[in-house]
Amino acid sequence: MKSLKTWLPALTILALTPLAQGDEFTDEDLKRWQAEYEKVMEKGEKLFHSTLGSNKVSCDQCHPNGANTHPETYPKFQKQLGKVATLREMINWCLKNPLQGKPLPLDSDEMIALEAYITWERRGVPLAPGKH
Amino acid sequence: MAVNRRQFLQRMAATGVAATLPFSLVEISWGMGKKPTTEHESFTFAYISDSHLTHIKGNQFTRNFDQGLRKAIMEVNLMSPRPDFVIYGGDLAQLGKREELDHGLELMSALRPPVHWVTGEHDFYLDMGKFWEEKISPLYYSFDHKGVHFVVLNSILTYEDWIKRWSTPMERMLNMARLDNPQGSPFMVGESQLQWLKEDLAKYDVGTPVVVLSHSPLYKIFKPWNFWTDDAEKVQKLLQRFQRVTVLHGHVHQVLYNQIGNITFYAMMATAWPWPYPVSYVQKPNQVPKLTVFMNRADPFHERDGTGWDILDMDSGAITNHYQLWMNENRTVAFDFKLEHPVDLKYQAPDKRIPPQFHY
Amino acid sequence: MKYLARVASALVLGVSAVNAGEVSLPQKETLLGLPPVPVPKDNPLTLEKAKLGKQLFEDKRFSADGAISCAHCHKPELAFSDGLPVSEGIGGQKGTRNAPTVINAAYYKTQFWDGRRPSLEAQSKDPFINPIEHGLKSHDPIVQIVRTDPDYRKQFRQAFGLEPDRITMDHVAQAIASFERTLVAGNSPFDRYQYGGDKTALSASAIRGLAVFRDKGRCVSCHVIEGSTALFTDNQFHNLGVGFDKIESRLPEIIAAYRQAKQAGKEIDETVLTQGEMSELGRFIVTGDTQDIGRFKTSTLRNIALTAPYMHDGSLKTLEEVVDFYDKGGRDNPMLDGGIRPLNLTAQEKSDLVAFMKSLTSNRFANLQSNKR
Repeated sequence: MKSLKTWLPALTILALTPLAQGDEFTDEDLKRWQAEYEKVMEKGEKLFHSTLGSNKVSCDQCHPNGANTHPETYPKFQKQLGKVATLREMINWCLKNPLQGKPLPLDSDEMIALEAYITWERRGVPLAPGKH
Repeated sequence: MAVNRRQFLQRMAATGVAATLPFSLVEISWGMGKKPTTEHESFTFAYISDSHLTHIKGNQFTRNFDQGLRKAIMEVNLMSPRPDFVIYGGDLAQLGKREELDHGLELMSALRPPVHWVTGEHDFYLDMGKFWEEKISPLYYSFDHKGVHFVVLNSILTYEDWIKRWSTPMERMLNMARLDNPQGSPFMVGESQLQWLKEDLAKYDVGTPVVVLSHSPLYKIFKPWNFWTDDAEKVQKLLQRFQRVTVLHGHVHQVLYNQIGNITFYAMMATAWPWPYPVSYVQKPNQVPKLTVFMNRADPFHERDGTGWDILDMDSGAITNHYQLWMNENRTVAFDFKLEHPVDLKYQAPDKRIPPQFHY
Repeated sequence: MKYLARVASALVLGVSAVNAGEVSLPQKETLLGLPPVPVPKDNPLTLEKAKLGKQLFEDKRFSADGAISCAHCHKPELAFSDGLPVSEGIGGQKGTRNAPTVINAAYYKTQFWDGRRPSLEAQSKDPFINPIEHGLKSHDPIVQIVRTDPDYRKQFRQAFGLEPDRITMDHVAQAIASFERTLVAGNSPFDRYQYGGDKTALSASAIRGLAVFRDKGRCVSCHVIEGSTALFTDNQFHNLGVGFDKIESRLPEIIAAYRQAKQAGKEIDETVLTQGEMSELGRFIVTGDTQDIGRFKTSTLRNIALTAPYMHDGSLKTLEEVVDFYDKGGRDNPMLDGGIRPLNLTAQEKSDLVAFMKSLTSNRFANLQSNKR
């Protein structure tokens, strides 16, 4: 019969090694989650290109491909709002003013979708918070 | 003893070489920045473009776009001395609807000087230009004014199979209206107009100043947004032999100017809204003419920011463009006879730029 | 009895605060909500200059009939305005524009409703020689007085280190401007709420009004509020359509007449204030650019409750009328500023906005509330 001494290291290793469960994720998971994101991003693209206000104006008219929205610069001081604001607050400003429409709740699905699309079109650009 | 510039150009044209003068010859024949002698009387005209009047319902139109056009019209009427004529640069309507075009005609009827019309894709694609041709103007034509030959082109045509793809006129119009449409189709002048242009130009000698008016730029800037004309080189080739050619175009809703060989290109302002520069969309390779000093960056705060109209002086065959910018400093871009390309009279030098002119 | 005594003492306090000649350099507390007062390098601010400036500001001898001083249209007890729609100068002649308050004028980048002068110094010189304001033919009589009056001689020596024969009109202007730079104040209930952390400083109505101001009312577009300060002006020029009906139908003729007058070399100042139509052209008079027709400078709203009536022609008598005017979308015209549009405010929102605007009265001038006509 082997002594405890020989078994102990093996036991210790077993005890210290975490079991293969918990937060691990697989390639499949990554693909699936990416697809979830893309679904929302595409919804945002549709919203961005539709007339969300009351005057037949759509976001892409002034911002083709989301250009000049500069999501990488938020939060920043926004003259229109008189304070340091976030992208979503500025989206609401556009909905209310140039589009003469109603604002979205900041955590609504539509707002998240719009943000997903706007940031997608600006992917790769380094963050520059505060930049005018 | 120095070869006179006109003779030189004629020889160059005869040998088919693009009209780019060697710097030294310019100095010999003119001295520093002196203009060649004019063969025509100087004159001034106004340019209003890209109003995108949008019908909501009944008698309602998008307020912001109406306001822009009304302001331009009032200002043109207050010009002193009165301009010889006004060019309307296209995209009077947003979706080419009868209501929009009628509304635009009604507003434009207040203009006192005569109007020459250029059609834009937003006016055209709902009914393939039918209303425009019947009620407003021929789609392409030419006219002479005080010794200058003006040509108006319909440069927003496109490929037949794209046109046939759509099941309703409005679907076709909406797909052309969307600037960033991945299913878009590039603009073109097309073979029959090229043929017409060739015959039209044949009657004029190389010394005649030529001004071409089109909606889309007659050169290639950024294809994803149709800042583009597919057969631009063919048009440019037909214009090559003339001493002095200027192309005035709309469509881009921004300050843009360039020189390609003997042709100066000026973009006209929009009364409706400003557009980002292609450099602002980083997912695709992009470029903007190096010459252009960008307009002061649009601040969405004020509805008239980045919008306006243009006053154009034609003198010695070249055009000076006075950009009338409503919420920004006016800009003057003039043809520099020494450098042989347009320059902004205040901001051209890199150290003269101001922060609002930096776009990213 | 007690009540009467309180009222009486308040009045006395009010009057004495105004008459006490209490010129003082801008205090930190007074400036809550405002950035430091801009002072040009060539006219550093000193108490001596400011006191001298006040005296010059109130000196009636600087007019053709000995009855008009700057304080005639800029009355201290009326928040440095005169409570009239348009001011009345020498011999009771009526002008065409409402007298702006001097309070916080130091923060404007240009002076006058059309911004035709770039500084307080430059502005101060014009009214003296305007035929319907002070009526002098030139600044010479003023220079004469300041060089010979013993009191002025002493003060100019103290404030500028100048011998009497070296005193010029520019020094007079510098002294007046220095006085005006002490007429600054933030520290209103709004400032205490917004920047002073006192959440009880504003009434519930004013708090709601602030929200309307920043959002549905779109006021903050031009009447700027920022993170740590609020000037309530963007220092730009906008066309609201006020008074535009006076010129709209004859605009081409009026523009032509203006262009002729300009070519004949007439002074803007004179033309603007003696002819109503010219006056309505606004900023155009200064730039000659047709896009500026009917544009006037955004006024600060600080102490607005004290400076009725409103707009460049004083045509709106109360804050309620002003809010109604904006709610309607101003007065439509082809040159109307892009940002002006119908607001569709509820009655509650309108009265809240008025309550908010009333909260912009600085502590320093709060006692003047009772002086309003």
